[in-house]
Amino acid sequence: MAYIEFKNVCKEYKMGEIIIKALDNTNFSIEKGELVVVVGPSGAGKTTALNILGGMDSVTSGDVTVDGKNVAKLKNKELIKYRREDIGFVFQFYNLVQNLTAIENVELATQICKDSLSPDEVMEKVGLSDRKKNFPSQLSGGEQQRVAIARAIAKNPKLLLCDEPTGALDYKTGKQILKLLQDTARKENMTVIIITHNAAIAPMADKIIRFKNGTAEKIEINENPIPVENIEW
Amino acid sequence: MKIKKALLKDTFKEIKKSYKRFISILLMALLGVGFFAGLRATSPDMVDSIDTYYKNQNVYDIEIMSTLGLTDDDIEALSNIENVANVYGTYSKDGLIKTSDKEIVSKILCVEDINKPVLVEGKMPENVDECVVEEKFLKDTDKSIGDIIEIEPETTEGEETEYLKNKTLKIVGTVESPLYISRERGNTKLGTGVINYYIYVNKENVNSDIYTEIYITLENSHKYQTASNKYEDYVEETKSKIEEIKEERENARYQELIDEANEEIAKAEEEFNTEKQNGEAQIQEAENEITDGKAQIETAETEISSNETKAKKEFANAEAQIESAKTEVAKNALRLNNQKIEAEKGFEQAEQQKAGLQSTLDNINNAIKITENSIAEKQNELQTAETEEKKESINQEIAKLQAEKQVYETNKQSVQAGITEIDNQIASGRAQLQSAEAQINSAKSQIEKQENTLQQTKNKTNSQIASSKKELEASKQEIATAEAELEKNRAEFNSKIEEAEGKLIDAKEKVSEIEKAKWYILDRQQNAGYNSYIQDTKSIENLSIVFPIVFFAIATLVSLTSMTRMVEEQRQEIGTLKALGYNKIHIMQKYVIYSSLACIIGGIIGMNIGFQLLPRIIWDMYEMMYTIPEFIVSFNHQYSSIGLGLIYICIVGATLYTIIKEVKNTPANLLRPKAPKYGKRVLLERVNFIWKRLKFSHKVTVRNIFRYKKRFLMTIIGIMGCTSLILAGFGLKDSISSILPNQYEDIFDYDIQVSLKTSLNQEQKDRYISELKQKEEINDVLETYMESATAERDDKSETVQIVVPKDKNEIDKMIKLRDIKTKEKFELSEEGIIITDKLAELIGAEVGDTIKITTSDNEEKEIKIVEITENYISHYIYMSKELYQQIYGEEYSTNVLLIQDNDLSEEQEETIMQEMVSKNEVSTVTLTKTTMKTLDDTMNSLNYVVAILIVSAGLLAFVVLYNLSNINISERIRELATIKVLGFYDREVYDYVTRETILLTLIGIVLGLGVGYFLNSYILGTCEIDMLRFEKVIKPISYVYATAITLVFSIIVNIVTYFALKKIDMIGSLKSVE
Repeated sequence: MAYIEFKNVCKEYKMGEIIIKALDNTNFSIEKGELVVVVGPSGAGKTTALNILGGMDSVTSGDVTVDGKNVAKLKNKELIKYRREDIGFVFQFYNLVQNLTAIENVELATQICKDSLSPDEVMEKVGLSDRKKNFPSQLSGGEQQRVAIARAIAKNPKLLLCDEPTGALDYKTGKQILKLLQDTARKENMTVIIITHNAAIAPMADKIIRFKNGTAEKIEINENPIPVENIEW
Repeated sequence: MKIKKALLKDTFKEIKKSYKRFISILLMALLGVGFFAGLRATSPDMVDSIDTYYKNQNVYDIEIMSTLGLTDDDIEALSNIENVANVYGTYSKDGLIKTSDKEIVSKILCVEDINKPVLVEGKMPENVDECVVEEKFLKDTDKSIGDIIEIEPETTEGEETEYLKNKTLKIVGTVESPLYISRERGNTKLGTGVINYYIYVNKENVNSDIYTEIYITLENSHKYQTASNKYEDYVEETKSKIEEIKEERENARYQELIDEANEEIAKAEEEFNTEKQNGEAQIQEAENEITDGKAQIETAETEISSNETKAKKEFANAEAQIESAKTEVAKNALRLNNQKIEAEKGFEQAEQQKAGLQSTLDNINNAIKITENSIAEKQNELQTAETEEKKESINQEIAKLQAEKQVYETNKQSVQAGITEIDNQIASGRAQLQSAEAQINSAKSQIEKQENTLQQTKNKTNSQIASSKKELEASKQEIATAEAELEKNRAEFNSKIEEAEGKLIDAKEKVSEIEKAKWYILDRQQNAGYNSYIQDTKSIENLSIVFPIVFFAIATLVSLTSMTRMVEEQRQEIGTLKALGYNKIHIMQKYVIYSSLACIIGGIIGMNIGFQLLPRIIWDMYEMMYTIPEFIVSFNHQYSSIGLGLIYICIVGATLYTIIKEVKNTPANLLRPKAPKYGKRVLLERVNFIWKRLKFSHKVTVRNIFRYKKRFLMTIIGIMGCTSLILAGFGLKDSISSILPNQYEDIFDYDIQVSLKTSLNQEQKDRYISELKQKEEINDVLETYMESATAERDDKSETVQIVVPKDKNEIDKMIKLRDIKTKEKFELSEEGIIITDKLAELIGAEVGDTIKITTSDNEEKEIKIVEITENYISHYIYMSKELYQQIYGEEYSTNVLLIQDNDLSEEQEETIMQEMVSKNEVSTVTLTKTTMKTLDDTMNSLNYVVAILIVSAGLLAFVVLYNLSNINISERIRELATIKVLGFYDREVYDYVTRETILLTLIGIVLGLGVGYFLNSYILGTCEIDMLRFEKVIKPISYVYATAITLVFSIIVNIVTYFALKKIDMIGSLKSVE
C-alpha cells in the first residue's frame, strides 16, 4: 500500500441550500519521499485535498491513509496530534507570527514536537543563519517563506504540504523556494506536496496530480524530474 | 449631506455581518448610558418621591418650638409674616404604653391638616377614644386593629399631668407619618430614653391649650422642589424673617407666663389671706367660747355652794323645830301618863263599886229567879189546884209573889243603872285618856312625819347639789377638751399657714426661675428622617458621578479598539471606494452611521432600562430604611440627553479618530494589505539574564503584551476598574462595620450611661453611686458632667457633647483619649480642651486653635484646643473639671454616670436597666448595646452601596474582558489559525492567548487594588456623614475578595474564550490576505 492514499474521497460544503462538491470521489496515492506537484485551475479541489491531507479539514466520505493511519477517521484531538507530529505546512502568505523573530517562529513549531530538529540547523539549511534574529517584517517575502519552510521542516514531519508557496513571490525568489523544497525532499527524503496553478513547474516533481472539477483527473509519474534551476517559465 | 443608498445598504449589511462587534459597542453604550442615566436619576427620583410625598401630605416648611410652649398669639404673629401661607399649632407628647411584656415609649401626635399621615389600613381616629399606629407597632406588640392600648398617666415632679383626656385608646388603623420616614423616632425622658413608635390621636383628645409645635407652610414652597437650593433659600429667607419677631414673641410668652403665674400667686395669696383670717377668727371664736364656758362654770360653782349652805341652814332650823316639838310631846306624854295612873286608880274604885253593885244585882237576880221559880211553882200548883179558891189563894199568893218580883225588878233596875253609870264613868275616863294619848301620838307621828319630810328634802337637795356638781365637773371636762382641741387646731392652722406661706414663696421663687422662652426655628433639615434621606440622596449623587466616568472611559476604549479593528479589516473596501471616487465624507459615513446606530440604540435602551431599573433597585434597598408610600421613577430628559451625548462623543469620537486616520491614506496604499504590526524587541530582551531564563511561551507572551498596547491598556484599565470597584465596595463595608466596634468597644469602654436627676445633691449621688458599686454586676462607675453645646469656628459650627469627668485621671477607664495614629494617650489638663477628630475636621480646627463653645444657656466661651482625639461617632469635647470651673466659674455638678458592667449579657443588662430606671435618682438609662444595635441598622443600609459596587464592577469586568477577548481573537485570528495548524492543542492555543490576558489581569488586579484604595477613600469621603468618621481601613480579606471576584469574572470570560478559540476556522483564516 502506498504511503499516502486517497480513496474515494468526497467533500461537500453546504452553502445555505446549495451543496457544493469540492471533492468528488478523488483517488490518488503518493509514495514516501516523493515530491508531488498538484496542479489544476482554481476551484478544482486541490487545496481541499491538501487541507484534508493536512488534517485541517474533514472528509464527507472516503478514506485518507497516511503511513497506515486513516486520517479521515481521526478525532479532533488525534487530528491535532497528527498535525503536530506528522505534518508541515507552508502557505502562500507565509503566516509567520509577526511578533516573533525568524528563529522564534521556528521554535514555535519545534517546542511542541518530540523529534524536532534544531532550529539553528534548520535556519542554516534554509540559508538564513544570519537573519534568524530578525522579525518577519524585516525580511523579504522569499526570506519569510524560507522561515515558513524552516518552521515546517523543523518539526521533522512525515509530510510537507505547500499551498502555492511561490504565489506571492517573484520569479527568482519563487524558484529559490522551489529549489529549497526540492532539495529538502531529496536530501531529507521527505514527502513533499506542492500545490500550484503554475503547471510549468510540474516537471520538477516525481509525480504530478492534475485536478479538475473536484477530482484527480490525471496522475502522472515523472521518471526524470528536472532540477528546478533548469526549469524556465 | 446625502447618504448614498448603496453605502447605507452596505452599512446595514455590515451590521448584520459583524453583529457581535455592533452589539459590543451597543452594549457599552447601553451600560454607559444606562448607568449614567439610572444612577444620576436615582437621586432626583428619590428627591422627587419625597417631594411629592411631602406636598401631598402638606408637610411643613418651617417648624417652631419653644421652651415655654406656643400660643395662639404666636400663630397670629407668624401668620402676618411675608411668605407664610398657613400656620398650624399642634400638640405632641411622649407617652408610655405598657404592654404585656414590655414598656414602650411612643410619640403621641394629633391628626392635623398639616403633616397628614397616610392611612394604610383601617380609618383615621374620629373619636377621642381612638388612635392610629404605625404598622411596626402592631407587629412588635402583637396587637391588631380594634385592640385597646393604655397610655400610662405621666407625672411631672410627682404630680399627675393629663395630656390626654382619654388614655384608653382603641386602635382603628395604621398610618405612615411623613415626619418619621426613617426608623429614627427621637429621644425622650421616658422609659429607656428612646422613642419606639408614633401614634396619632384625635386632636379633641388633647388636654392642653398650649401648642408644643407650630408648623408653617409657605406660599411658594410648592413651586420648588424640596431640598433644592431655591427651596432652601426660600425657607431660609422666611426663617430669617421669623427670626425678627422671635425675640418679641419669646418675651411675650415669657411675660405671659410670668403674669399668669403672678396673677395666680396674687390670687393664691388673697385666698391665703382670707383663709388665714377665717382660720384665725374661728380660733378666736373657739377661744371666746371656752372663756365663756369657764365663767359659766364659775358662777354655777358659787351658786351651788351658796345653795348648799342655805339648804344646810334651813335643814338645821327645821331639825331644831322638830326637836322642840319632840320635847313638848314628850312632856305631854309624861303628864298624860301621870293622869293615866290617877285615872286607873279611879277606875279601880269604880270597878269595886261596880263589883258591889254587880253582887247586889246578882242577889236581886237570884231573888227574882226564886220569885219567878215560886211563881212558876204556884202557876204549876194553879194548874194542879182544882178548886178555884185554892186557885184564888194560889193566884193571890202569885199576885203577892209578882208584886214582890216587881219590887225586885225595880231594885234591879236601879242597880243596873248604877253599874251603867259606873261603866260610863270609866268609859268616859278612859276615852279622855285615850284621846289624850291619841293627841300625843298624833303629835308624835306629826313630828315623825316632819322629820321624814325634812330627811327627804335633805336627800333631794343633797342629790341635786351633787348632780349640779357633777354637771359642773362635766362642763369643766368639756372645756378642757375644747381647749385641747383648740390648741391642736391652732397648731394645725399654724403649720398650714406656714406651709401655704412656703408654697407661696416657692411659687414666687419659681416665677423668678421661669426661664426666658427660647424659640427653635427649624426646617425640614432638622427632621432626622428627612435629613438622612436627603443626605443619602447626596451620597448617591456623588457616587453617580464616579461610576459613569469609569463606564464612559471603558466604553470609549472598547469602541476605540472595536472600530479600529473594523476599519483595519475594511481597509481594502475603503481603498476600493476611494479608488471609485467616493469622497472622504461618504466613506466615513458608514462607520459613523454604524457606531452612531450602535450608540443611539444602545443608549436609548440603556436609558430606558437605567431609568426604570437602577432607581428601583437602589430604592428597594433604601426602602428598608425609609417609609415613603410611593417611589416615583421618571424619565429624566436632562440626564438621558447628557448621557447619550457623552457616550456619543466617546464612541463616535473614537470611530472618527480611527477612520479619519485611514481615509487620509491614498487608495493605493489602502488597497495594499496593511503592513502588519511589526514585531519589536521589548526592553526586557536587553536584560539578557532574565530573558534567557524565560520559557519560549513566556517570551511570546511578553512580546505580545507590548505589541498590542491598546489592548494591554484596556485590559489593565478594565480589570483595574473592576478590582478597584470591588475593593472600594468591600473597603466601604470594612470601614462601616468598624465604626461601631471602634466607637463603642474601643474608644468608649462603658456599657451603661445613666442620666441622674438634676435635683440630686452630691450626698444623694454619692449614696447612689456606692449603692451601684456594691452590685456584683457592676465593675466600675465614672461620674461626669455632660452637656450639649455648639462648637464654632470660622462660621462653621457643629453640635457637640461636652464631657467633664469628675476626676480627670479616671476618664481613661471609660473613654480612651488618644492620638489617631500613634494611639498615644492624652491627659486632660487645665491648658485647654481635647476635641474629637471629625469635629476638628468639620470646623477646620487644629491643635492650638481656639474655638467658640456655646452652651445651652447661651454662654459663649473661647477655648483653646490642646489635643485632637480619635473618635468615630458624634462629636465630643473633653474638658477637665478644673478648666470647666475656671471658664464657667460655676459650681461643678455631675449629671451622668458611665458604668462598666462585668460582661453582662443583653438580657442581664436589660434587667439592670429596668431596675435603674425605677430608681428615683435616675432620669434615663442608655445601654451601649442598644445604641449599637440601633446604629447597626442604619449602617447596614450602606451595605447596599457595596452590593451596587460589586454588581456593577462585575458587569464592567465582564463586558470589558469579553469584548477584549473577542477583539483579541479576531485581530490575531491568522496567528491563532497558524498555531492551530502547527498542531497546538486547544489547551495550548488557549494558553497561548490567555496567558497574556491572565498576566494583564493580574497586573490590572494589582493596580486595581491600589486604585481601589484611593477610590475607597473617595467614596468614603462622599458617603461620610457629618456625625461619623469612617476609618479608612480595608481589611486584608477584602483585598482577597476583590482579587478573587475579579479572577472569577475573568475566568468566566476565559472559558468563553476557550470555546471561541476552539471554533476558529483554520482554513478560512489562513486563506485571506492580511
